[in-house]
Amino acid sequence: MTSTYVPGLEGIIGAQTAISMVDGANGRLVYQGYVIADLAEQMSFEEVAFLLWKGQLPARAELDSLALELAGSRTLTPAATKALEALPGDTDPMDVLRSVVSVQGVEHRLSRPSVPLAIHATGSFPTILAMFHRRRQGLEPVKPRSDLGHAANYLYMLNGTESSPALIRALNTYLVLLADHGMNASTFTARVIASTESDLTSCLVGAVGALKGPAHGGAPSAVIEQLEQIGTAENAERWMREARKRKVKFMGFGHRIYRVYDPRAKILKEMCRQMNPSFYDLASKVEEVALQILHEEHPERPQSTNVEFYSAGVLQAIGLPKEFFSPTFAVSRVAGWSAHVLEQAANNRIIRPQSEYIGPEPRKPVPLANRG
Amino acid sequence: MAEFSPGLEGVVAAETAVSEVDGANGRLIYRGGYLIEDLVPVAGYEEIAHLLWHGELPNENELDTLRQQMAAARTLNQSARGALMAMDGQIDPMDVLRTVVSAQGASKSLTKPSLAEAIALTAVFPTIVGSAYRRRQGKDMVEPRADLGHAANLLWMMEGKEPDLQKVHLVDSYLVLLADHGLNASTFAARVVASTGSDLTSCVVGAIAALKGPAHGGATFAARTMLDKIGSADNAEKWLTEAHGRHERFSGFGHRVYRTYDPRAKILREMAKTASPELHKTAARTEEVALKILHDAHPERPNATNVDFWASVVLTGAGIPKELFTCVFAISRVAGWTAHVLESLSDLRIIRPASRWTGPEPGKKPLQLAKR
Repeated sequence: MTSTYVPGLEGIIGAQTAISMVDGANGRLVYQGYVIADLAEQMSFEEVAFLLWKGQLPARAELDSLALELAGSRTLTPAATKALEALPGDTDPMDVLRSVVSVQGVEHRLSRPSVPLAIHATGSFPTILAMFHRRRQGLEPVKPRSDLGHAANYLYMLNGTESSPALIRALNTYLVLLADHGMNASTFTARVIASTESDLTSCLVGAVGALKGPAHGGAPSAVIEQLEQIGTAENAERWMREARKRKVKFMGFGHRIYRVYDPRAKILKEMCRQMNPSFYDLASKVEEVALQILHEEHPERPQSTNVEFYSAGVLQAIGLPKEFFSPTFAVSRVAGWSAHVLEQAANNRIIRPQSEYIGPEPRKPVPLANRG
Repeated sequence: MAEFSPGLEGVVAAETAVSEVDGANGRLIYRGGYLIEDLVPVAGYEEIAHLLWHGELPNENELDTLRQQMAAARTLNQSARGALMAMDGQIDPMDVLRTVVSAQGASKSLTKPSLAEAIALTAVFPTIVGSAYRRRQGKDMVEPRADLGHAANLLWMMEGKEPDLQKVHLVDSYLVLLADHGLNASTFAARVVASTGSDLTSCVVGAIAALKGPAHGGATFAARTMLDKIGSADNAEKWLTEAHGRHERFSGFGHRVYRTYDPRAKILREMAKTASPELHKTAARTEEVALKILHDAHPERPNATNVDFWASVVLTGAGIPKELFTCVFAISRVAGWTAHVLESLSDLRIIRPASRWTGPEPGKKPLQLAKR
């Protein structure tokens, strides 16, 4: 039996999952039963990764052993280091991540996805990005520190100095907030790849490739760029109304699932207000105008601010260059991707949908010499 | 909301004119409306790639142009060479392909998938696979040759000697047969990645990652491995009966879509007779016995021989070692992957299905670490 074609598979169930649920009607994001607001500012990224992989929050001993395993995964293999060094310094960091994650995970024989492999991959993402960031600036790489948590070590390897507890906490909250989000396109890519019984690295490399797309993870830097064009809060309304006449898209608005304010955006907005006042002043005005204009155009649509809009301000306050916004999204989401791969592998059926043929009726080919 | 169909079986996920698998009638239709059995005698791989990309078979001028473009794009860039040389020679060749394609396509800024990129990517696959194979044997890589066609250049890059014309013909026919096949898992992965607005390399890397799985591209290797275990025609009945008793799956049998004999398998079965006469004997007897056992066990199932079974015999006859089977599959399918990505650009909509929540009731409160 074949169903009718639904573009983008909107509303079609692509998988069953117990990892996260996006309750769009009520504006709730749920990880393994916990509402995101209850996790965001209380849990470390490590605790949330454990939750996504194992279905429950870790006890102290479990958390300690996870921290140790993650710290042990922060060094790149010689092959990954060499491959990273072979890439030009002006390469898109998402392409660097895609390529170096691929080398870091090469294997002699096919292995089944496992929690240790998930930990291993998750531990390596910040190292890849930090090493590349240092290289772009002509600086020596910084060796990872095993006494630091995941967020703290990432900042340490980027900057070569320890960051303030406030910045570490902010990055940690960002990583917790973005760690999973239902059947988004990159997670779905990872599950499609997992469904062929491929290895975990293959799934993650595919997911990085999907996250790179501007319609998915590639937009937070575009938010900054648009805000830079707008310039000042006073200029917002005029700029945006003119931009709209030229069909310019407002960056950081709209989501397929949420019908109310994205719960992550709410938390990030408050963080922006505290950490990045100049961004907040401009962004909150732009948000107000954007929502007003979008509502005037389509009063029937629940156009609300998405997670990328205020993510941009938080990541900027943390000191990340805008080319590292999308890759840092991946630093977080790799926990969710790998959890989904494990879940898919545990109860697998190859994901092979149907297509509807819209080409011509069968006909005979003409030999080369007789073609016009 | 619709029912969940595991594996999205029967769910239409795209409209396409690139190819159509008519499972009920055992027909594979390539773009333009051509049946696969009509194309094999009149068109080589480059013509098929042109067909899948443009919708029409090339005339002589167009074919010459395409051949020149492909020949010019066979060289690895510095990033790709660096990644290739960084990995030890015994790495799974599919991991080498995944990594080196990613590095070759690493770029400064996001580019929209284009035909020129599709041609360049397709052209470079044999260089990567041939070099991986030579490194595996401890040999230096050879440079690609612009005077050779696609299939011949692959054999040249593997063997470093003038390729045998009969083998070139076998490889070329195989490449024609496998170049596209509806919305299989790797093509679907490519389309999901493309749907986010990502670049062509990311789509193709995701597709390679999916093809690696034993339930997809790895099946040709599995079929050959089974034939190796069976060893001879005389041993087929005993081996298969025992394997069936142990509930082992027979590699090379069964397909989700075909309800009759796979038209590609039919062509390959015929080619196998002369391509590899010894292995053909074992395979023919194996097929006979396997189909009987499967029919006796499940008379209601249309358990037909699939393309992987006979492809393994033909590729063996062409001198391709079995550890490269999946890579050679990729060398063919990249034309289809890229054609699908280019097609999807005309109406890009992010592929983001829904999921069904199977986790605990949302809203439970997390315990503090000390209390867990």
